[in-house]
Amino acid sequence: MSGTTTTVPLERKVLSENDRLAAELRTQFAHHGIYCLNLIGSPGAGKTALLERTLESFAPDKRVAVLTGDIQTDADARRLARYGFPVRQISTAGACHLDARMVVRALEGWDLATLDLLFIENVGNLVCPTSYDLGEAAKVVLLSVPEGEEKPLKYPGIFFKSKLMVLTKVDLLPYVPFRLDDAIANARSVQPGIEILQVSSATGAGIDDWLKWLAKR
Amino acid sequence: MHEIGIANSIVEAVRTEMLPHAGARPVKVAVRVGAMSGVDRDSLSFCFEAITRGTLFETMILAVEDAPADELELSYLELEEP
Repeated sequence: MSGTTTTVPLERKVLSENDRLAAELRTQFAHHGIYCLNLIGSPGAGKTALLERTLESFAPDKRVAVLTGDIQTDADARRLARYGFPVRQISTAGACHLDARMVVRALEGWDLATLDLLFIENVGNLVCPTSYDLGEAAKVVLLSVPEGEEKPLKYPGIFFKSKLMVLTKVDLLPYVPFRLDDAIANARSVQPGIEILQVSSATGAGIDDWLKWLAKR
Repeated sequence: MHEIGIANSIVEAVRTEMLPHAGARPVKVAVRVGAMSGVDRDSLSFCFEAITRGTLFETMILAVEDAPADELELSYLELEEP
């Protein structure tokens, strides 16, 4: 004999535990007046290079820190630590994205009162980091010129959720078949409000625009 | 590939919801997935089947419903009470 069927409404986010931790982080950041950015892009899009240029430009008393996520190695943390600001590597040991719990753990022991700006460099991936709120004020998506102008259409989720798209490696524009206008139109078709900057960490072009964008936060 | 984690979160939510329903059998769990959520439906279904195989949840159906934008929410759970 078959029993009765009951329907239980769930009506909450699938990632409610992650979102709870992210909300706690956001409250902490607000309490300490920290502006936190979650940098997302493909492997090799130039996330670490942009951060190197950024840290290099800051005065030594700038209250900035970086968390950098990778599946393996602390190579990025070593690259970024050269500039004298606090840097911590988060090794995800296989996971393709950072989640809020990893950020909570990585911040342990840091005095947040000493910071105004926190960069979180996510694992190189245009898909998985999209779903995980890290308590950031904004997501920034990096799209490098060699990747092609159709990326915003192929991976719409991350472009939809980002406040800013940084087109990187623009020094390569003369050498690769990248249609800049299409890239911008594609990003705006997914997220009409997205802001767009063009930079080259190799030549320094556009870095001032990025620094100005940061200074306005 | 993060769909394994998403599938795990769904199963955990079901497990929690079933605590007050001793002896019940989970029949179906429905989730709402938006096109901008970063979650691939086929991949989610595949991962869900993989992680529930050989468990209490093996026969439970995962229903994926359309949702706007980046929504990623649990919708409802259907239980068969003894």
